[in-house]
Amino acid sequence: MKKIIVLVVLLSLSVSLFATGTKEASVSTAPWQEKGTVLSDVRVRQALLLAIDMQTIVDELFEGMAERAISMTSPGVYLAEGLESYDYNPEKAKALLQEARWPKDYTLDVVYYYSDQQTVDLMAILQQYWAAVGVKSSFRKLEGDLSAQLWTPPADRKVGPSEVKWDLAYAAVAALSENEFYDRFESTASNNSTIPYQEGLDELVKATRATADVQKQIEAFKALQREINKNMYNIPLYHQLSFIYISDKIDLKQNALGNDQFSYEKNILDWTTTRPDGMIYSNGGPMEFYEAPVVNPGLYLYQELLFDKLINADENLTPTEGMLAKSYTVSADGMQITFDLRTDVLWHDGRRFSSDDVLFTFEYLIKTPGLNAVALNTLKSISGADAYLEGKASSISGVRVEGNKVVVTFETLDPNALLTFSQWPILPKHLLGSSNPVLFQQNAFWQNPIGTGPFKVAQTVMDNYAILERNANYYRTGSGNIKKIYLHASKENDGNLIKNAESGRIDYAWSKSVADAQAIEKIAHMTVNPVNIRYTRLFWVNQYPHPANK
Amino acid sequence: MISFIIRKFLLLIPLLLVISFLIFLGMELMPGDAVDFMIPPDALATISQAELDLLRSELGLDAPFLVRYGTWLVNLVQGDFGYSLQSGVAVSSLLANTLPATLELSLAALVLSTLFGSILGVVSALYKGRLSDNVLTVMGMIGVAIPQFLFGLIMIVVFVFKLGWFPVGGRLTVGNEAFLQRLDHLILPSVVLALSMTAGVMRYCRSSMLDSLNKEFIKTARSKGLPPWRVNLVHGLRVAMTPVAVLIGFRLPMLIGGSVVIEQVFQWPGVGQMFVSAVRSQNTPIVMMVAFFSVLIVLIASILVDIATALLDPRVKLS
Repeated sequence: MKKIIVLVVLLSLSVSLFATGTKEASVSTAPWQEKGTVLSDVRVRQALLLAIDMQTIVDELFEGMAERAISMTSPGVYLAEGLESYDYNPEKAKALLQEARWPKDYTLDVVYYYSDQQTVDLMAILQQYWAAVGVKSSFRKLEGDLSAQLWTPPADRKVGPSEVKWDLAYAAVAALSENEFYDRFESTASNNSTIPYQEGLDELVKATRATADVQKQIEAFKALQREINKNMYNIPLYHQLSFIYISDKIDLKQNALGNDQFSYEKNILDWTTTRPDGMIYSNGGPMEFYEAPVVNPGLYLYQELLFDKLINADENLTPTEGMLAKSYTVSADGMQITFDLRTDVLWHDGRRFSSDDVLFTFEYLIKTPGLNAVALNTLKSISGADAYLEGKASSISGVRVEGNKVVVTFETLDPNALLTFSQWPILPKHLLGSSNPVLFQQNAFWQNPIGTGPFKVAQTVMDNYAILERNANYYRTGSGNIKKIYLHASKENDGNLIKNAESGRIDYAWSKSVADAQAIEKIAHMTVNPVNIRYTRLFWVNQYPHPANK
Repeated sequence: MISFIIRKFLLLIPLLLVISFLIFLGMELMPGDAVDFMIPPDALATISQAELDLLRSELGLDAPFLVRYGTWLVNLVQGDFGYSLQSGVAVSSLLANTLPATLELSLAALVLSTLFGSILGVVSALYKGRLSDNVLTVMGMIGVAIPQFLFGLIMIVVFVFKLGWFPVGGRLTVGNEAFLQRLDHLILPSVVLALSMTAGVMRYCRSSMLDSLNKEFIKTARSKGLPPWRVNLVHGLRVAMTPVAVLIGFRLPMLIGGSVVIEQVFQWPGVGQMFVSAVRSQNTPIVMMVAFFSVLIVLIASILVDIATALLDPRVKLS
């Protein structure tokens, strides 16, 4: 807190040093005026980032537990080389603003939708940084129908006017695939509320989806990043880390740690514990209901352990070997995937798993509102999906069941198809077959879910705890001794995590909270493991005119 | 007295109607609706408005306000409390799961605070101006002033982390589900809740007792040669308890919603936690039922207070 106050005070002082130097703009028309918004000028967008000392914010506000972003893509093979980093340079920011004839009396309307203290502190700091280069800004928290207020695109994608009524929106993108970062840059994207049609940009976005060749995909993403970076179509701020907390009572047997917002093979059947009863403790137990794996299919440990997927994934979320499918093959053009299903799999209630469950799951999830965009895109890319959704067909024709084989034929190439099949679980047709997919989460199934995974529900005391026990019928055995998993009831942000960890009642848990990580780091029997995840905080910049920014 | 009680209960009906309408209206005036809270804000960017509208329609959220209120009211009259918009679980089942936990905690705190508050209040009054009175007065002030969450956290640090006497939270542990087996879970939260309530009862009882001891009938009793314990504890305390009974009566509504903070601190799975979560997520059926029962208890408590006052104070007549 002291550091934040010092930062704000220093910035306030610098306002008086820098802000007074701005010259009155010339009376001739500024280049951006015909487009109706000052934010249409790339120099202004660049200046807004140059004015922010993001590295200091990361070091001071986040105490180094985040990473400064120069692209939406996190560091790794997908990050383009040679991007302009727009390092803190208030003098250059002022010069660019002057060149662009920034209207001194204009106040940027900045919106955000998080209510945590760190966001509020960050907004206060950014306001001071911008004030230091002569940019006034006001901040407000959005409430209510966020989707309509943030992502409604304009009717005219070239000139607007904007349907959303703000200049900058502070947001986060938690991406399962790189496409989740970049699909919205396409001028036709249903959630592109800020970036007008730009020549060549749509083609660059489409190129990322045009090939099943991973190397070519990477190159396409890099080319797109360079274009976005040069034109500053949005302002990336920092990559958030995830923190995995592990007690000294368990041994993960060197299994790699990954992005716990999604599913990856932890080999939990091989883990060992020194607790004599074989119980390990975690959080994320159900509060009122078990959460259906729709948006983030691995957010809670139970989602990952109760349900199996067709394909497994490693800690980088890269699809690996088969899971419910003992093997799978992808055609050379990527337009057909054949899954050869296991025959030794039972649901937790004893019923046999079959290819009918696979077909049912595809047809069910495609009609479930809120399904993650990656999965929805995969399912919609299957031949006959449109006809099925429109009610013209009773089944998705592109999914063919041949005994224990399921053959999926695509109408359009989806480079993320394997990713989808490694994340979204297969659901039991015999329990959900007659239910309404629109009210999937409201189904009684989520009071006591039945899956095929390595653990099953043994006991649930809603809002209190749940106990998972090892599935004796699971088709794989492990070398570990964990018999049960105790889940303290909590949502993703667990206010009791630190207390429970301190009292020895957490063996494995994760969060994205820097405050949690800082506190748990001080507990002798716990270790904190930072993990890079695809989670980027940024500003969306409204480059369409709207009544306020004319 | 019977006709008074019947009249009072009949008056409850229009009162409940008006209050329930106002609560429903309050929920309506909040920005957004339940669907906005079902999907994380980050994920909303990739979900079409048509999908969200379909979900709204299936949940009945697209009907006009008065139709929704009317439906809720008709269902209530038929004994149907509705379903949670988040999980589809009947509100009656949710209440059946959470209410016992809250009642257990609140009743324990109410009994403890009434017992200790009354005893300490009487002691404080009888030893007015002496060391024990001053000590109790200061303790009472501290009890009123200290926030419950802070007190709860201090108790956790001392009795859980340092001494290891109690579990850190929750209502029960695996395999120990009988009341006596889970008593160790109840002690810390109920004592914390009771201590902050004790201070109020104690201060109220002290001033009421002092007032009572200065009354004419007490002087008469003393002049008749009655022993001091009889004068103080029988004649004095009976009258002194009237305002205390009023205070306790008005605390009955907290049996449902008064322990929200303590429930959060001690991970106690009660109505308070559920209510806070329901308000945040605009889960109207849950909010309506919890609020409805809270209001009902407030109104019934006020009738009970009237009756208790008449029973305790011979000067009060119900009419």
